[in-house]
Amino acid sequence: MTGRAREITDPGRRGPGRAWPSVPGMDTLIELRDVTKRYPGQAAVAGVSLDVAPGEAVAVMGPSGSGKSTLLNLIAGLDRPTSGTVTVAGERIDTLSETGLARYRRRHIGMIFQFFNLLDDMTVLDNVLLPAQLARMRTAPARARAAELLRALRIENRRDSYPARLSGGERQRVAIARALVNRPALLLADEPTGALDSATGEQIGALLRDLNQSGQTMLLVTHNPALAARYARRTVQLTDGRVAADAAAEVGS
Amino acid sequence: MTPVLGAVRGGFRRRVPVLVTGLVLLVSSAASVLGLALAVDSNAPFDQAFTAQRGADAVVTTQAPATGLAAAGLTATRRLPQITAAAGPFAEATVTARLAGRPGPTLPPLTLAGRATPGGLVDDLVIQSGHWAHGPGQVVLSSSDDSLPPLPLGTKLTVTGLPGTLTVVGMAASVTGSADGWVTPATAAALHPRAAQMLYRFRGAGTAAAVRAGVAAVSAALPPHAIVGALSWLTVQAEQEPGIAPIAPFLIVFGATGLVLSVLIVINVVSGAVLASCRRIGILKSIGFTPGQVAAAYTSQAMIPAAAGCLAGLVIGNLLAGPLLGRTATVYGVATLGVPPWVNAAVAGALLALTGLAALLPAVRASRLSAVQAIAAGRAPAAGRGYLAHRLLGRLRLPRPVTIGLAAPFTRPSRTIVTLAAVLAGATAVTLAAGLGASLSRVVSGLTLSRTEQVVVQAPPGIVRGPQRDAPAAIRQQPGTLHYVAEADVQASVAGLAQPVPVTAFQSSAGWIGYPMISGRWYRGPGQADVSTGLLTGTGTAIGDTITISYEGTRIPVRIVGQVLDGENNGPALVTSTQTLATAGHQPAVEQYDVELRPGTSAASYAQALNTRLGLAYFARPNDHQRGLPVIVGLIAALTLLLAVVAALGVLNTVVLHTRDRVHDLGVFKAVGMSPRQTLAMVASTVALTGLVAGLAAVPAGIGLQRYLVSAMAAAAGTRLPASFLDVYAGPELAVLAVAGMVIAVAGALPPASWAARASTAAALRAE
Repeated sequence: MTGRAREITDPGRRGPGRAWPSVPGMDTLIELRDVTKRYPGQAAVAGVSLDVAPGEAVAVMGPSGSGKSTLLNLIAGLDRPTSGTVTVAGERIDTLSETGLARYRRRHIGMIFQFFNLLDDMTVLDNVLLPAQLARMRTAPARARAAELLRALRIENRRDSYPARLSGGERQRVAIARALVNRPALLLADEPTGALDSATGEQIGALLRDLNQSGQTMLLVTHNPALAARYARRTVQLTDGRVAADAAAEVGS
Repeated sequence: MTPVLGAVRGGFRRRVPVLVTGLVLLVSSAASVLGLALAVDSNAPFDQAFTAQRGADAVVTTQAPATGLAAAGLTATRRLPQITAAAGPFAEATVTARLAGRPGPTLPPLTLAGRATPGGLVDDLVIQSGHWAHGPGQVVLSSSDDSLPPLPLGTKLTVTGLPGTLTVVGMAASVTGSADGWVTPATAAALHPRAAQMLYRFRGAGTAAAVRAGVAAVSAALPPHAIVGALSWLTVQAEQEPGIAPIAPFLIVFGATGLVLSVLIVINVVSGAVLASCRRIGILKSIGFTPGQVAAAYTSQAMIPAAAGCLAGLVIGNLLAGPLLGRTATVYGVATLGVPPWVNAAVAGALLALTGLAALLPAVRASRLSAVQAIAAGRAPAAGRGYLAHRLLGRLRLPRPVTIGLAAPFTRPSRTIVTLAAVLAGATAVTLAAGLGASLSRVVSGLTLSRTEQVVVQAPPGIVRGPQRDAPAAIRQQPGTLHYVAEADVQASVAGLAQPVPVTAFQSSAGWIGYPMISGRWYRGPGQADVSTGLLTGTGTAIGDTITISYEGTRIPVRIVGQVLDGENNGPALVTSTQTLATAGHQPAVEQYDVELRPGTSAASYAQALNTRLGLAYFARPNDHQRGLPVIVGLIAALTLLLAVVAALGVLNTVVLHTRDRVHDLGVFKAVGMSPRQTLAMVASTVALTGLVAGLAAVPAGIGLQRYLVSAMAAAAGTRLPASFLDVYAGPELAVLAVAGMVIAVAGALPPASWAARASTAAALRAE
């Protein structure tokens, strides 16, 4: 584990009652049972069952339209399954209200996206602080946490910049900082290097791997086999919305 | 299907702008038609009705033909050179009536005319309900006679000297007030008429002198003393106008506010819809649309719902205006009014032209952008806008969703300004309406003294009554009496004024009546008087001056101690004690008693009970001259509601556009943990600041407008008003009004905010 990653995820720095993984002694952080998501005319996800243990780094792979992003959205509580159950950190999220899902995302989920999804009219610091503010974290600890993340991700000198003035790699680092500010149990990444050049993509991939090595559970959606092989310890292959393969991978150095 | 039509149809998939455009045009055109029609009709309803109904320039009452005057002589006056049209002679009888089968009191005396038909060359009567009197025993009553209690059709009246009864078969309006009711000539003959009436229109009747000259010409053509009275149309107009003129400025301002509001919102809605479609415009151009086709597609896209909304609004406006104008006509005391066709044409033309212009300008601008520029322009507001506001507001100790929402207006300043103006107009209308309603209520109460003079006891003319002391005794004995005072209404001449001045004289101080004081104080004894603004202006005097009045040939010095608002008499008027007039040698004849009731006493029940006690000698009636007030207040409320709805629709549109602009950001907010309630708060906050600013600005604007309007109404009625009629806003009320803008804004923002709160996060994140 690198010092930088420890600085970001060190469980010892968590707030009271915020153990990692979120429920101590839990064997399974994510539990999907026979999950189907059907859109008019087609099933994006069909009967998927999947368990992810705390601390795992799982890459979900598949061609376009295979249901990778839909699966990610279902785990993030951004979408609801047509049938089946989704349990994360011991909580059935498929039955939660919209408010319950918002609370669930604040508490347990950090998300990073292919196109960063930063808010253009907010500074880097404001973007990173936003989830903490929505979770009503007190100002001083929230700012301290944000500063800590920006420093660890080496973008503290950009804290007052607006996203439009950042490079792609810097934007994704800001997105990672925002995803981690509430110390989530699960980091979900949807094609995190898809919009970056290969060198920057490598840097972000390495950063994610360090995070996982420091204990951060991670689910990574990608169509890039090399990325999956290098940074994930397990690969789930989706085809037409179904799990075609689920195997441990050899993590690259 | 042409490409342009295809693009127009595709644009209709965005239902909210289409719906809001249609709704705004609907409400705007309905409000405009209503406001403009009422304003136009309030300009000169009497003149309109007088022309439409061929009102009589003079109603000349003569001795009845049976008493010596030959009917042929009266008929011959039609051929006089001064006469352009005439009707009559109609037999005229003044009768005493009571409800048949009931031992109750008599009704006020009724002047009935015998007419075969309601129509004619002069005084064309308008049947407002029921039908004309076709047979014996039928009577049609005048709808403008407010001295009568409500008498439904079918009511049977017993008339002194007439065998059987008269049945009320209809209500009709006479613009010249030629009679209280009409019967067939045969029925009139059975009433033993002692007079006849001739109705004339003269070649020239613009002035009192011209009317007098016309009457003089008629008189010269008849035997001496044949004419016993003549009623000039100018007198009728003078009695009607004060009821109309004060309302006119209010209606004109409301109509104008409606139009301004419509324009602002139409510009906001249509230009916003076009700007929101910039990206689509870019795509259309990239697949081969010419700038002309793009401009045509987007102008049509705005014009189709606009035209549909406008048409529906015109229909609704006319449907609403019909009954309102009918009721207003009753308030005005003139016959039925209608929406002039040009009002519909003007409203439709103006609104559609503005809509077209508002759509064309941004559509042309967008059509001239290159495809790439248009696609980029459609994505987000210009970079950098509102960033500072975000940073500064983010430091406030408010929930983060609220500060994010508060910063939003700074990203689209032009849209914010138009929204601010729309909310400002709506909130100003609310403030104005609140004050205007209170002012009008106080004015009407003050003019009619209806709060203190709750019951009026009058001696019907021509009826032999008992000793004068009968009435005071009956009033004193009647349970529910709190105060009463005897009132004499006489005429006196005042040095410096050509016309006699009406004098209201009370037998005691009668301070409890509470005449509205403009300045000075109430009189305290003989030799003191309070006078109207008209008398001070006409005589060039001021409070503290002494004037000399001539009454019954005696010159009496009177010191002016106060200026009052006199609702009974327009122009010069004087209020004093009967003891002041007694200096002339005899007490003036008391014709009326004014009664204030104990709290909780019903004026109607009291009057009914008192009438039983009074018998035939006097007639008590509730002082319900405020009957018209609910209609006026209803008008104010209806127009205010329409304007507030239009303002809220403008906000709705702004927030819809803003929400659509930021739908992707909404997805991000929700993905990082923003709850539905926080989303609702954030979206509602985007207009809360705008609404609050507009509301705060609307309070002084509304108060200023209210003071101007009420003063203008008073000036139209030829008087000043006591300060208490203008200062009607209380502190807590002002605080409530200050948040009216925010209430309008948040009400408009709630539908899109709820949508945003419910929207699928995954779908929002997919949005481009």
